[in-house]
Amino acid sequence: MLRAMLRDLRAHLGRVAMTVAAIVLGVGFVVATWVVSDSAAATVSSGSYRTDLAAVVQARPKNPADAAMPAEVVGRLAALPGVTRAEGVREGYAALVGKDGKIGTTSWAETGGTDWDGSQRFALTAGRGPARAGEVALEKQAAEEAGLSVGDSARVLLGGDRSDTATVVGVFAYRATGWEFDPAVAYDEATATRLLRSPDAAPAAAPGFARVELSGGDEQAVVAAAKAALGADFRVDSGSELRAKQAEAAQSNGDVIRKALLAFAAVALMAGVFVIANTFTMLVTQRTRQFALLRAVGARRAQVRRAVLAEAVVLGVVGSTLGVALGVGLGLLAMRLLPVVGEVAYVVSPWAVLLGYGVGVVVTIVAAYGSARRAARVSPMAALRTDAAVPRRSLVLRSVLGLLAVAAGAAMVAVTSPEDLTEPKRVLAMAGAVLAWVGVLLTAPILVSTVLAPLTRLLRSPRPVTRIALRNAVRDPRRTAATSSALMIGLSLVCAFATVGQTLSDETTAQVRSAVPENAVVLRAAAYGTLDDTVRTAALAVPGLTGLAAPRSGQVEVVSARGTAEDAEFTGLDPAALGTALRPAMLAGDADLRRGVLLAERVATRLGAKVGDQVRLRFPVVGADGDVTPVEVPATVAGVHEGSDLMRGQLIDDALVPAGVLRHGDSMYAVGGDQAALRAGLERAFASRPDVLVQDREQLLDDLLAPYQLVLGLVYVLLGAAVVIAVFGVVNTLALSVLERTRELGVFRALGASRALVRRTVRRESVVISLYGGVLGIGVGVLLGGVMQYVIMANPVFGMSVPWLTAVVALAGMGLVGVLAALWPARRAARADILAAIATE
Amino acid sequence: MTNFDAAVSAEDLTKRYGSGDAQVIALDAVTVAFGRGELTAIMGPSGSGKSTLMHCLAGLDTPTAGRVWLDGSRHGSADRVELSGLRDDALTALRRDRMGFVFQAFNLLPTLTAWENITLPLDLAGRRPDQAFADTVIDAVGLRDRLHHRPAQLSGGQQQRVACARALISRPDVVFADEPTGALDSRAGAEVLGFLRRSVDELAQTVVMVTHDAVAASYADRVLFLADGKIVDELREPSADRVLDRIRALESAARGARTAVGAGA
Repeated sequence: MLRAMLRDLRAHLGRVAMTVAAIVLGVGFVVATWVVSDSAAATVSSGSYRTDLAAVVQARPKNPADAAMPAEVVGRLAALPGVTRAEGVREGYAALVGKDGKIGTTSWAETGGTDWDGSQRFALTAGRGPARAGEVALEKQAAEEAGLSVGDSARVLLGGDRSDTATVVGVFAYRATGWEFDPAVAYDEATATRLLRSPDAAPAAAPGFARVELSGGDEQAVVAAAKAALGADFRVDSGSELRAKQAEAAQSNGDVIRKALLAFAAVALMAGVFVIANTFTMLVTQRTRQFALLRAVGARRAQVRRAVLAEAVVLGVVGSTLGVALGVGLGLLAMRLLPVVGEVAYVVSPWAVLLGYGVGVVVTIVAAYGSARRAARVSPMAALRTDAAVPRRSLVLRSVLGLLAVAAGAAMVAVTSPEDLTEPKRVLAMAGAVLAWVGVLLTAPILVSTVLAPLTRLLRSPRPVTRIALRNAVRDPRRTAATSSALMIGLSLVCAFATVGQTLSDETTAQVRSAVPENAVVLRAAAYGTLDDTVRTAALAVPGLTGLAAPRSGQVEVVSARGTAEDAEFTGLDPAALGTALRPAMLAGDADLRRGVLLAERVATRLGAKVGDQVRLRFPVVGADGDVTPVEVPATVAGVHEGSDLMRGQLIDDALVPAGVLRHGDSMYAVGGDQAALRAGLERAFASRPDVLVQDREQLLDDLLAPYQLVLGLVYVLLGAAVVIAVFGVVNTLALSVLERTRELGVFRALGASRALVRRTVRRESVVISLYGGVLGIGVGVLLGGVMQYVIMANPVFGMSVPWLTAVVALAGMGLVGVLAALWPARRAARADILAAIATE
Repeated sequence: MTNFDAAVSAEDLTKRYGSGDAQVIALDAVTVAFGRGELTAIMGPSGSGKSTLMHCLAGLDTPTAGRVWLDGSRHGSADRVELSGLRDDALTALRRDRMGFVFQAFNLLPTLTAWENITLPLDLAGRRPDQAFADTVIDAVGLRDRLHHRPAQLSGGQQQRVACARALISRPDVVFADEPTGALDSRAGAEVLGFLRRSVDELAQTVVMVTHDAVAASYADRVLFLADGKIVDELREPSADRVLDRIRALESAARGARTAVGAGA
């Protein structure tokens, strides 16, 4: 019995190849995910562990600005018993200037410079460490970004307007001890002492050490001695604690990557289940007579069922084996391609392999189970008939369940409202969206007959190609639905994310375009830095500049007349620039800071504050000793504005903000008569400032939108795997239906259909199925995206922006998928032997 | 070669399968002509080559040697086409526009309605049916109230009548019918045969029918008997009894020949 089935499998290798391909892709994606996350975690942890640390000492001053330690502390630590080495580490503002004259973005400029020492902090990848003035070593990624290598001359921006030019003698990978950012440049100790400064520190002050690294044989003794010697003002971490924390962080980073990737792998697998299930259904349908024969000669139902399941297990194991191999290969390849610093660890854990097999076999069995049961129900009488069919389940239950799911999902979204979107309600709305999505999958077969069937009646084209193709597509709604559902799964998620991305970027675009005048020139801090007063002064000196908005934001508490307080942000600006260089989106009152404060919508609502009300702004003022004292400033509410990323929170006259309040600004907006002249003037003024970028509004917008594009691009690539699997499904369906229709195709040919016409008919059927999946996927995806952006941003559900470009590209892509998927089946169909087809047995 | 007006003719038509010892000669230099406006039946035992002959005449199969002509009367005297050497697309167009087919297994396209099946050859050619002629054909087969049914909703006899209508709709030079009554009961078979007969009498259609049923052959104007790939006999104005007599005679002759061959060996 089993042997008979296996022989049969071998005889139809072509038919099963596509099923195996679907399993291979699904399993491969899962395994690759596992390998990447394991390897990434191992890379982060193994490569960066330092074994030369017994303890790290840091100062814990009240005022963070006083964190630097004097040389005297290092000396005291070095003298402690058990300490073999005490290394003071310097940190200071330094950034590598790139070819464009602006500083790089791979490291944090504030702590971008350090002093070279012989410790394991530095792992040289080229050259040697710096030894004297005029030499510098660069961190690998920073060097790559700036396009510098050993022997080149590097320009390094230092605090303020100082800079230094030095010869690159080495390139290194940095091993962090736990909390510091990777530096971009390392000088020898003397040069570092001379050049590196914190921009906050007084230029004249003697530079200190950011931390002291201690080495010694007995870690516990060193820690205890250091604690005893320094007291409570210092923090001492043991080397093993730091390593444990790093390992933990690496593990959790690996887990985050793994979870995100596995979510995508699950989507790919889901598409795979549809493809595999559909293929099995067709394989079983085509062998109805064989099953009937088996039953007629005495096979019990359970035996037939077990035989089909055994077939699934065999396919599952074969597919999983290939899938595991593919996954390991893909995973290792991805690790090679990823921009990883230092030694890359390649880890293929047994879990990855086991999971691959488990998923592959289980998914195949689950997908085949329905077919196995149907095969077992074939009557022995079917062996005697030529038109025997496998008994089919009715679509009624499935469709009713699907419609209920859609209705329930829609209701779950509808009962929530954007005005009052609490966390549980967000969860409810999202769950409703997912439920409706599943409902659409369930109703797909009746949708095929209710949507496509009328279409066949509408299209009364004199050419039979389209008509026959459409009829063939609706002939077996379940099959067409399963095929297009596989496409829909990946596509709907792509479109959902595209919708969210489009909505977010449309919103940002609208905000920026309404806030910043078209002719404004934007000054921006490079590499996530901030703009200080020197930038403002230099900009104001540029001829032709008529207005300059230099918003700086910080924390403030807004207190209403009744005494209710609300934590919020404030943005201080020059009143003259508001409305000219920067325009707030006003909801009430006037955009005039001379008359008072402009509250953000959220704060105004929470406090119930109206235009003309009195409020108090409670600023945290940091004293010279680091103590924070609240200082209250009374203000009249002059207006209410929407609030945006460019103008956060309450808008207030910058002059009213008490001294000592921490505030930062990373952008300034200048307007003047002639935009081109103004821009040229500003570019000249900041030519020698690598930390200041001069842009126009659209460039600013591009910068703000770039992260969305990056994330979306990644999401598309990952979801693409699901679409690729689904394409196999289309090929499968077509190939098997062509096989089923051999006779029909022969007759079609005999009656005068040319080979080209037969090919066209099959191709059109394929395009119809693909486009149906595309339309369904795009429609459902945009709606799903609507709910997602509603849940994220509390916009109205239908307030989403439709990603037309993505939708059109996706639909065109589906058309192309249809054409490509039909290539082989259409050729096969056109080659159908007329004589064999019409021969009467 | 032909001493009467022929719609289809063949000369030295030979079809061999395989080679060497395994070689089978399905058609052995058959020269034959089928008269225009006549119903010709081809009879013979299984393996006599009657289906192969029809397939070669219809351009569905490629003969090993010999030539086949299709002579269109409606298309003017210059419209004599030789099938051998035509490329697949040209043959396809020829089948579509100038031949009609009726198969034993009906072979309607299951997704198309009766009407769509009937007009399929015209559809494929991108032509509109001549409504008056279509009405004639549909009334003749008696399917007016069944035109919008799918094949699965029709009985076997009705399906075969749809197939007949499909074969006639393009007013082909010749209709090839391959065991048209093979899958039908005698009453439905008689209906179909009666219809083919009327298409010859009333529409001057040329019909070539392969059958092994003497009753079916009796509807023909002329019966050709095929054995071992050769035309061995011919009968005009046949009746079922005369056909049966002739078959018996041929069979005993064949047995005699086989015995003689056996004895000779």
